[in-house]
Amino acid sequence: MNLFNILSEIEQRDAEAYEKFTVSRRKLFKTTAVAAAGSTGLLAATLNKAFAADGDVADVLNFALLLEYLEAEFYAIGLNTPGLIPANDRNVFAKIGEHERQHVDFLRSALGGSAIPKPTFDFTAGGRFPTAFSNYGTFLVLSQAFEDLGVRAYKGQAPRLKGNRDVLLAALKIHSVEARHAGEVRLIRGLRVWTSEQETGGAPAAVYMGESPTMQWTVDLPPVVGPKLVQREGNVGQTVERVVREAYDEPLTKEQVLAIAGPFVRG
Amino acid sequence: MKNNDQLLRPAVGPSVPAIPSVERRLFMRQLGLVSASTAAFLASCTREPLVDPQTGKRQARLGAEVLPDGTVDLGSGDIGISNLAYTLDQLETAFYATALQRAMNVTPEDRKVLAELHDHEVAHREFFKTFLGGMAIPMLDFDFSSVDFSNRNSVFDAAQQFENVGVAAFNGTGPLIHDVEVLKIAGKMVSIEARHATLARHMIAPKTPFALSHELVDAQGRDWHLTPGEVVARAQKYIKQKISIANLPTY
Repeated sequence: MNLFNILSEIEQRDAEAYEKFTVSRRKLFKTTAVAAAGSTGLLAATLNKAFAADGDVADVLNFALLLEYLEAEFYAIGLNTPGLIPANDRNVFAKIGEHERQHVDFLRSALGGSAIPKPTFDFTAGGRFPTAFSNYGTFLVLSQAFEDLGVRAYKGQAPRLKGNRDVLLAALKIHSVEARHAGEVRLIRGLRVWTSEQETGGAPAAVYMGESPTMQWTVDLPPVVGPKLVQREGNVGQTVERVVREAYDEPLTKEQVLAIAGPFVRG
Repeated sequence: MKNNDQLLRPAVGPSVPAIPSVERRLFMRQLGLVSASTAAFLASCTREPLVDPQTGKRQARLGAEVLPDGTVDLGSGDIGISNLAYTLDQLETAFYATALQRAMNVTPEDRKVLAELHDHEVAHREFFKTFLGGMAIPMLDFDFSSVDFSNRNSVFDAAQQFENVGVAAFNGTGPLIHDVEVLKIAGKMVSIEARHATLARHMIAPKTPFALSHELVDAQGRDWHLTPGEVVARAQKYIKQKISIANLPTY
């Protein structure tokens, strides 16, 4: 697979689609109100307007769409594999899978003709996770990795959407749902809800690379935070540094995310 | 009526002398906010006109102030938005501290979780306190008398409500933020609030879709969001001082 090639193809296609789309959208608004039926269509129309003026927005949304395709298909296969997900946990993964499908639908309708098609995925990542759908433990590790990666991916793109309030708001509202998913999966695994470089839970280390700074913007946190903590209740592992690094989720760049997601995309 | 005076007063707070921007920047330096990026942030704020020529509304991104009647005005622009987040972080920290003192019928594991949530909120609160310096609101006083601390489920239910307001507040104010560095910090915190909300609900109904249910996530798989006014409407009953968002940016 070569994800970067796929994406540069997409970018080229985007440029053409962008031209066509601007024209077809104009036509659409003239000839029909069908696109505005239902709230998805309404917001999608607003977003269409937003990104038609800004190629960067379409690029961000297509990047998000790639990750949502990946997650949606991962849960669809998992839920359709008999004996993989224990009965107790099925409802949780059904709900997460439903959200991921909704994210795909939403992004596709927002992107209209510029939406990338769903690629083919390889959830073994070229043999690295051969039991992705035959061992529940492996499935959980991948689920955690995809959700935590999704959180970092959306977070990294937020600054690129700053010029478009509607799009930024929509992305932020998906971003926090990914964090809810990540938290839920981590709790099912009996792990801490928060991330740090030090505790990867078996996920690829790159997913948590750079997750542990203790300086945020201008503020060196441990000296100001330390004296105010309770850190008690028999929690021996609870150092000031761990509190600080777990209290902030860090972004990843698009390139960093694609390097991690790449092995799961066949093309 | 005694309050008529206040009701009739324009919602912009007391008038502020128009300080020339260079002088104002020096004034801000004196507040101790001297690190390079903070100074740059504040310098960028001073590019805004003090008063919007069309609406006559105060535009400058100035800090919080306590009005003569005790109302705490959060300030304007990114400082106002940061003070709103700081308000919620103060509220959550105080709630968890109170819960650790007063919650009854809690297990050692419950207490450990409450302590961890408390400590994370401290890590957010102290960021804003340090970052805002002289622009920050004072420490507020809280009233949790409406919370039932006699059983663990009601404590975690209150916790998940505070955390979910936090998520919705960060999401709703994100698009109103002017400075990209402030947006980045908000982004780093909002997903932690979402993890907290999930944990708090997990303490009530573990390993169920309760933490992902429809009152939290809409039919398009997205979180709800709240405007600053809606945030204050939900938080005010726990805060003794009246909070004013009159100078915050709006949609």
